[in-house]
Amino acid sequence: MGSSFEEKSVWVQLSSMVLVLGGYFVVAGSMMAGGVNTLIAYVPLFVTAVVLMVIVLIAGHILAAITGRPEPRDERDRLIEWRAESNSSWVLAIGVLAGISCMVLGYESVWVAHLLFGSLFLSSVLGFVLQLVYYRRGV
Amino acid sequence: MAKSKTRVRNRIRTLRFESGEMTQQHLAAQVGVSRQTLNAIEGGKYAPSLEVAFQIARVFDRPLEEVFQYDPVASGS
Repeated sequence: MGSSFEEKSVWVQLSSMVLVLGGYFVVAGSMMAGGVNTLIAYVPLFVTAVVLMVIVLIAGHILAAITGRPEPRDERDRLIEWRAESNSSWVLAIGVLAGISCMVLGYESVWVAHLLFGSLFLSSVLGFVLQLVYYRRGV
Repeated sequence: MAKSKTRVRNRIRTLRFESGEMTQQHLAAQVGVSRQTLNAIEGGKYAPSLEVAFQIARVFDRPLEEVFQYDPVASGS
């Protein structure tokens, strides 16, 4: 069975997120290991990553639209998205709790910010992976 | 054949054949879902909402229970 436009869109979002934001975390991780502890120093890197991600998302969706006719979302697409979000949101919840704990323990704001951002990233990646599993295995 | 994810069985493939080999794309367009979703329904990977089930039955001009059946004993899971 060929992939629907919605499934291709999930692949595009997953790939761009892993490539671009994954790259951000590699660079930011080395900066943090190097002792850069001011949050403002990460802003140019963050803005670059966001702009790059938007470009990759647009290019990916244009490619997906060229290889298959875009169709509106239907009830199965919505159910798959809801179920994937429901089964991946615990990662973000753990990240938020860990972030609050780090604030209470007096960690630098750069660590707290990246812990929160990292948990949002991992939660989103898990959500996209689950969506792809549900598209293939059924819901 | 792939394992079914739902206990809802259907005769869509047979009914499409009896309707002059109606394509999945054609039926999906009439019902308002994607071809992939119709394929998932036909293959037992997705149980449609009541509304979509009624719409499919209406396309074939059959009562709902002639198109969809509920299998209380899951054979595929």
